[in-house]
Amino acid sequence: MNDKKIEGILRNLAQEHIPQDVQKITEETLRNFNETLLPKKQHILWEKIMRSQFIKLAAAAVLIIAVVFGVWLFVEGSTSVALADVLQRVEQVQAFMYKIKMKTTGNMQPAMPSGPMEMTGTILISNEYGMKMEMDMNMVVNDANQKMRQIMYMLPQEKKMYMIMPEQKQYIQMEFTEDLLAGMKKQSNDPRDMLKRILNSKYTDIGESVINGVEVEGFETTDPTCAGAGGMVEDVKVTLWVDRKAELPVRVEMHYKMNEQMQMEMTLEDFVWNLQVNADEFEPVIPQDYTNPLPNYKMPTANEEGAIEGLRFCEQLLGRYPKKIDMMNLMNEIVAIKDSNNPTAAALKLREEVKGDMNNLPEEEKAKKIMDLMRPVQSLGMFYMTLVQGKKEPVYYGDKVTAADSNTVLMRWKLSDNEYRVIYGDLMAENVSTEQLAELEAAISK
Amino acid sequence: MPMEYARRVDIFRRLKTDYAGFLTSVLWRLTGDRELFSEALQYAMLEIWRHVEKLDGKKAGAYIYRIALSANSKAWRNRIGKNGHFSDSHLDIAAEPQQKTNDAELIAEVRKSIARLPAKQSAALVMRYLQQQDYDTIAQKLGCSQVTARSNVSKAVSALKRVLRYE
Repeated sequence: MNDKKIEGILRNLAQEHIPQDVQKITEETLRNFNETLLPKKQHILWEKIMRSQFIKLAAAAVLIIAVVFGVWLFVEGSTSVALADVLQRVEQVQAFMYKIKMKTTGNMQPAMPSGPMEMTGTILISNEYGMKMEMDMNMVVNDANQKMRQIMYMLPQEKKMYMIMPEQKQYIQMEFTEDLLAGMKKQSNDPRDMLKRILNSKYTDIGESVINGVEVEGFETTDPTCAGAGGMVEDVKVTLWVDRKAELPVRVEMHYKMNEQMQMEMTLEDFVWNLQVNADEFEPVIPQDYTNPLPNYKMPTANEEGAIEGLRFCEQLLGRYPKKIDMMNLMNEIVAIKDSNNPTAAALKLREEVKGDMNNLPEEEKAKKIMDLMRPVQSLGMFYMTLVQGKKEPVYYGDKVTAADSNTVLMRWKLSDNEYRVIYGDLMAENVSTEQLAELEAAISK
Repeated sequence: MPMEYARRVDIFRRLKTDYAGFLTSVLWRLTGDRELFSEALQYAMLEIWRHVEKLDGKKAGAYIYRIALSANSKAWRNRIGKNGHFSDSHLDIAAEPQQKTNDAELIAEVRKSIARLPAKQSAALVMRYLQQQDYDTIAQKLGCSQVTARSNVSKAVSALKRVLRYE
């Protein structure tokens, strides 16, 4: 054998290209290795959270806020399905009220009450003052029926939301950030835009009917954007019944899923249009002996910076990016860490933190700390929600893109007709043209 | 006192991130076979986990080198014991079919032989030829003089030639 040949072979080996599928073998082996090596961990962060009754109730309330917020927006715009005349009428309405019935079945998030939940409420909306909502909830907490009354105020002028819980003698006051408030204002002040969205969706005229002696005409759509709730819902069916004479909405029925297991039915009815309202109806009444378990709590930052921080936090916690970032699915993924065979170092660290410091804290301080810990996740979910509600056409590729994919689009949304904002796998962000985005997105599917 | 579990996991994850590319590059070039590669990588990861306490410092790179080569040897030992010949599915060096087959076989033999070399020789050989490092760097990583590093490389090449000549 030619001795020089061996050295040549060795040098050739050094030049050899590593095939793509071998890189994938590495990724898969490393991932599987964690699963087989690291012992199964239990009692992670969320189990602590689960024990907190206050958190269960607060989580339920937050969900309702999100849903109702979506409904509020929807109601303002959707009153137009009997077309332009209805829109015109609704635009003239300064204040109105309606009743809401909501029923959830199936498994909710672990952070939520464990059983079905029913809620009835009355909602008063004023263009000038904001929204007041009185809710009575019936839910199963720790295998026991639990009733709860909440009075919620959303006051755009003050940039504040109040939630009062008389049975608990507690209240929560949350401040909205400028970003969120801007999004809310934009949405609530532009019902024509909402109408366009509904009219642009595939809706069907399902014919005439009679509701409480009123002749109505029904319209049905399955477009998820019409259900509001910032992209949190799927399998949507929305039916809107319009008074044929008055050309105003009479009833809205909604059915949708909020994750794989949970279904929700909601009915909005008994609308009273053109109400006279006073400012004092929107002033929160909080007795002196009520306490605030989350003083100075601010709504999470719903901007790009907060979203990037949230993505980074989730990546460290999960060892990958979350598959979806609507609030429900996002929280579900984070909660699922407790059953994970391969918790990441960050998840374990968090667990240590909870175990170490939080056990000795009073329930309320514990709740505050948990809310603070989860703030990046909330920021991400809120930001995505504002993008959906703002019709920014957000698209997220967390199921395909990893932190190592520095030039691959992880998330994008629309800035203008020919410009998009892109966050890459390495969490760098930049503006790109429509053409550049098309190229970048074509590369993802390959 | 054993290191705290979370701390071990933390170091392990960092090492995975830092050395995944290195392990892929070295182990693929030394195995040239997907099954062998995967096996060697698993051995390497297992060893890293077992010795994670020692790998939280400046010498981590040298340790991981040793671990990678040892994992490669182990994977090859298992394979040779199994069926006595090697996959040549991805080898593609020469243009002519006959030469191609011969070269593919030779490359597989070279790889197998590297796995059988003494640890320091195989490490020196891999650093010199597969990673194209200078002798200063090799000496530093092996913790020996430059002369010894050269000697190890030379002995490794000679051993390969000797083995291949008689097989």
